[in-house]
Amino acid sequence: MSATVSSGIGSALSGKPLRLIAAFVLVVNGLFPALWILLTSFKTEAELTQKPITWLPHAATLRNYVQAFSDQPLLTFLFNSFMVALLSTALTLLVSVLAAYALARLNLRFRGLIMSVIIAVSTFPLVTLLVPLFEIMRALNLLNSWTALILPYTVLSLPVCTLVLTSFFEGIPRDLENAAMIDGCTRFGALFRVVVPLSAPGVFTAGILAFVNAWDEFLLALSFNSNPGLRTLPVGIQLYQGEFAFPWPVISAALVVGIVPVAILIVIFQERVVSGLTAGGIKG
Amino acid sequence: MTTSTLKERATRATARRPWLARWSDPDDTTLAVILLAPAAILLGVMIVYPVSRLIYTSFLDLSLTSGLPPRFAGLANFRQMPDDPVFWQATWNTVLITLITVPGSLLVGFALALLANLPFRMKWSVRLSLLIPWALPLSFAGLIFGWFFHSEYGVVNDVLNRIGLPGVIWFNSPRLAFAAICLAIIWKASSFMAMIILAGLQTIPRSLYEAADVDGAGRVRQFFEITLPLLKPTIVVALIFRTITALQTFDIPYMMTGGGPGTETATLAMYIHQNTVSFLDLGYGSALAVVMFGLSMCVTALYLRMIRGGGTAS
Repeated sequence: MSATVSSGIGSALSGKPLRLIAAFVLVVNGLFPALWILLTSFKTEAELTQKPITWLPHAATLRNYVQAFSDQPLLTFLFNSFMVALLSTALTLLVSVLAAYALARLNLRFRGLIMSVIIAVSTFPLVTLLVPLFEIMRALNLLNSWTALILPYTVLSLPVCTLVLTSFFEGIPRDLENAAMIDGCTRFGALFRVVVPLSAPGVFTAGILAFVNAWDEFLLALSFNSNPGLRTLPVGIQLYQGEFAFPWPVISAALVVGIVPVAILIVIFQERVVSGLTAGGIKG
Repeated sequence: MTTSTLKERATRATARRPWLARWSDPDDTTLAVILLAPAAILLGVMIVYPVSRLIYTSFLDLSLTSGLPPRFAGLANFRQMPDDPVFWQATWNTVLITLITVPGSLLVGFALALLANLPFRMKWSVRLSLLIPWALPLSFAGLIFGWFFHSEYGVVNDVLNRIGLPGVIWFNSPRLAFAAICLAIIWKASSFMAMIILAGLQTIPRSLYEAADVDGAGRVRQFFEITLPLLKPTIVVALIFRTITALQTFDIPYMMTGGGPGTETATLAMYIHQNTVSFLDLGYGSALAVVMFGLSMCVTALYLRMIRGGGTAS
């Protein structure tokens, strides 16, 4: 019933109480897991094994955060994740800005075909790359290196970024570019002096999507970089668990450390992220 | 004499101009080639070459542990599959996860989107509560939900106890473990669904509902005759994307159960990973990946037909 309510306006049912309940459901659903981890990260190990379990920490402590950094090279994991995500994002943007410009501005004979290829690649199962890339990286001695992850992550985000950027470029009036070219800019000059600055929000949106994709990826990172010094955060987190021991407060602290950087990005740029997601997801 | 050098210069200049011009102020075709080349090279090196290599390797007997050189094995890797119970189990689990979590995340996502579409004053809080699950790495979600369903100290059993129900040992039973995995996947996937559907909802003009109000159409009828048909293209696209992602499910079951108990909750992606990285049996791993590739290509072909066909989806 609530389904139909929202689509109408001025209904008695879409009053304040319903809105409050709706907001409560949305916020609890969305934030409970992250909140639970945050609460757990302040608990002592002794409190964790109490029964019945406690929800709020009784004696809040920051020791777990200290331990998260000292038990495992958490800073190294963060650094690896950050550099791999940053470098693959930069590469993705460079390649997709060029491709998107061609798709948005030039009268390409095979535009439809190229778009189909991009969409097909956006649905490409990364799992199937696991075996050949494992073989190739192993032969090239690239297992346990940033390169082994940067290249596949670039391909992973290339289609979405290209689609987002194409739709942004299409929104920039051609006249601006023509004016620049009449004033003596070359096409590349016009691209980098007029189009790119104007589409900075779009480039930024695409960049966030690529960054989050790379920050989250697990399967290839797990398969290619098992050396503790080169693990990314999602893979490194596993090192905290012993065979039987599960130091949950410490793991939670490490998870919080891993969630915070991306959460900050999302909080600051939420509207851009949403617009990018919907443009990249629906545009065909 | 001077005329000849001038002429010479002129011819030299025109001969040189196309090359220079091509780079500084190229025509459309040349420019397209230059602009699309990096993407094409990247896709060639990172997708076309690996996929052809994958298909080639799937016909080889290539096990890195045996130390033997690769040997052509024909269809042996593929023949091995029907007699491999883990293959059937993993494939069945993958299909089942897809069949459960794709409609599941659509329904939950739809409900969340309708709630989020209410006129809130603090839009950012709603947006964040959809964005944070999307941005949370899948592997983190798997780890966290594994902890939620922990038999002794998990919050799920705690809630069950508080409302007077006995706690359950989730990860000892294949069915319960599978259910827990599906719940985690639905939670993780539904927020993205909700964002896509919400964006779709916001493009529906209010005037349509106002007109329906005037015509005396009830809310239920408005939903089925305005909201749903107008959202159909959006939903179809979102569903196909979800299907392809669900077929590749790896992170959440890997983190929650590791495929256990036994191999009861293993997925095809997990089995490919195990054969490749743990057993180093690249031949069989490749053959399994070819099956996965085929499965997702079918869905992709369907998808392309729908969006290129245009009318079919709307």
